[in-house]
Amino acid sequence: MKIPTLLSLFAACFVAGSANIEENVGQFFSSGHTNNWAVLVCTSRFWFNYRHVANTLSVYRSVKRLGIPDSHIVLMLADDMACNHRNPKPATVFSHKNMELNVYGDDVEVDYRGYEVTVENFLRVLTGRLPPSTPRSKRLLSDDRSNILIYLTGHGGNGFLKFQDSEEISNVELADAFEQMWQKRRYNELLFIIDTCQGASMYERFYSPNLMALASSQVGEDSLSHQPDLAIGVHLMDRYTFYLLEFLEDIHPASKANMNDLFKVCPKSQCVSTPGHRTDLFLRDPGSVLITDFFGSVRKVEITTETISLTDPIKQVEEIAVHGEQEKETYSYVDQLPVSEIIHQKPKQKDWHPPDGFILGLWTLILLVFFKSYGAKHLKHIF
Amino acid sequence: MAAPLTVVLIVAVTVRACLFRSSLADLIAERVEVVSPLNAWKRVVEGLALLDLGVSPYSGDVFHETPLIIYLFHFLVDYAEITFMVSSLSSHIVLYCLLLSLIVTSCCLFVDRYLLNPFTVLSCVAKSTCGLNNAIVALFILSTIKKNALLSAIFLALSTYQSIYPVTLCAPAVLYLLQRQYIPVNVRWASFWWFLLQYAFMYLGSLFVIICLSFFLLGSWDYLPSVYGFILSVPDLTPNIGLFWYFFAEMFEHFRLFFLCVFQINVFFYTIPLSIKLKEHPVFLIFMQLAVISIFKSYPTVGDIALYMSFLPVWSHLHRFLRNIFLVSCVLLACSALFPVLWHLWIYSGSANSNFYYAITLLFNVAQILLVSDYFYAFLRREHHLTYGLYLKRKDGSEATLVLK
Repeated sequence: MKIPTLLSLFAACFVAGSANIEENVGQFFSSGHTNNWAVLVCTSRFWFNYRHVANTLSVYRSVKRLGIPDSHIVLMLADDMACNHRNPKPATVFSHKNMELNVYGDDVEVDYRGYEVTVENFLRVLTGRLPPSTPRSKRLLSDDRSNILIYLTGHGGNGFLKFQDSEEISNVELADAFEQMWQKRRYNELLFIIDTCQGASMYERFYSPNLMALASSQVGEDSLSHQPDLAIGVHLMDRYTFYLLEFLEDIHPASKANMNDLFKVCPKSQCVSTPGHRTDLFLRDPGSVLITDFFGSVRKVEITTETISLTDPIKQVEEIAVHGEQEKETYSYVDQLPVSEIIHQKPKQKDWHPPDGFILGLWTLILLVFFKSYGAKHLKHIF
Repeated sequence: MAAPLTVVLIVAVTVRACLFRSSLADLIAERVEVVSPLNAWKRVVEGLALLDLGVSPYSGDVFHETPLIIYLFHFLVDYAEITFMVSSLSSHIVLYCLLLSLIVTSCCLFVDRYLLNPFTVLSCVAKSTCGLNNAIVALFILSTIKKNALLSAIFLALSTYQSIYPVTLCAPAVLYLLQRQYIPVNVRWASFWWFLLQYAFMYLGSLFVIICLSFFLLGSWDYLPSVYGFILSVPDLTPNIGLFWYFFAEMFEHFRLFFLCVFQINVFFYTIPLSIKLKEHPVFLIFMQLAVISIFKSYPTVGDIALYMSFLPVWSHLHRFLRNIFLVSCVLLACSALFPVLWHLWIYSGSANSNFYYAITLLFNVAQILLVSDYFYAFLRREHHLTYGLYLKRKDGSEATLVLK
């Protein structure tokens, strides 16, 4: 009597479980990506731009905590605040006053540091056009099933972002870089977050599919910094990233929070500037996009021995027409050494000699002057 | 304290030979205070090597010496050390003969100032062609003193041909020769104009002959912009002990020509006022003019300084009227010691910058200017005392002091 009940209960649970598994597995493939990458860039140097480094490191910390490994994070910091000689607490970068949260930690891996953070390097990382000698840690080795998070912070203006106080990247360049990435199938979906003054201008020009963008302020507004720390003496974070960090601290790898919650981070009352976002190029509904689709990479794994039939949940993305096959040219090396010249030795150059006329003229003059000064009577001493 | 000439020569030769054979020779040859882009030995060797390769030595910005130097060193490049030693020694002998004629009193004959001057030693060991320039200027002065107008004009032409600035020495030479011929310097006298014409003709003629001869050496005129264009337009801003490099390094392009003219005119500007003031004392005028050239020329080196400093014993009788000699000597010694220190700090340690080095350069030049103006003051004061007596009295008999207004 007991055994059939148990068996039936067991079967019921099993059926329920398998239906659950189907649902979970269905969710498993709903986003269409298989790996996550993050490119986090701080573009300003000098001690008073401490907050930009703290911004980038906070996002780095969240992203790492939510599961993206260092090998999939390209961290670019334009200056070293932790070991700056003006830092009263060396080897730390704090994101909260009273030094509550050290975002530097013990295991930060900076891939591009100091003067390596340039517009050229950033664009090369995005498009993948790096010299063959570049190590893997400095490359964005994404494929067409990668979800990429790109976070930029620094000083910017209407349509540009300043790198290192000496150059700038424009929104057109950025849009073209993303289009190159799309054409080379370097991303599945891309989330672009920018925390600078007039940040919304940077995503105005995007035209490639599957891009979602967030910015900390609209065109004509400044993004403000959050709070100074009197012990360190500089502002520690920008407002938008501060509230973003607060929001992300509540996210855990299994969280179901979606993008609509992210859009609500830092309303005008907290941020003074109006954060903006752009989702028109994104094919899925932002409400169905999980935060962990971009910020985390951990997958829940259910082990099952059943075979599961999948209905196709992914919408077909339009295929961009591939250009016709280029004709292949054969290349050959140019001769490095003029071998033929070395083999057939050229005759050695003769040394230069002054022309005879010159020597004649010079010595005649010298003799003339000598005899004029000392008189011809000295001739008899010589002859 | 008058060391015999031979002892001085032997000591000098020994010092130089030791330094030539030691490892310091390479070190000294690289120092920017001792060599300049105009007279560095490295550049002479480069120029000769380019010539051996069949290329004009003036192509590229490497060689800025005159063709006669090419001719000289074409045969003597292996004996360079001996050449420079001989030129140093001959300058010294020439100066010795010169000072013997000039010094009225025989006491305190510090004629060894040229050869044993550390600046001269450094310049010789670095094999900078400044030594040759100094020899020619010394020969010019000797021939002027010996009243040989032709040789004086020829040597002046040679030294002008080497670097443009000695053309200002024309005025004292003419004044001296006029004085010795008892022709008053008066524009109404025909003999004044006649002598001036003769001298100018000899000078310009020999300059013309030398320039044409240089043309025949290499068959082209491209030594003119390389040598004279380089001296006048100062394109190379390597730091040296002069005043040009720092200014022109930070100058905007559209002011460059203006300031170039200002700086270059500064060298030639003092000739006429000084000649008018010192027309009875052309030897002192030569000294002043040499000093002005060494301070304000576009690429000075310590060799130029050594030349005018060796004239100081001629005016040892002015010592009682010199006011700043202690300050000047301290500053010169301190700056000479600080030059290599601040160079090292700037270039090698990176903890200083060009401002530090230029500050020392400025101070060094200020000290030189102070030295020269002090001697000038002492000279004029002595002249005043010669006319009005040493102990000045006011009209009521009380003691008066002389004040420089």
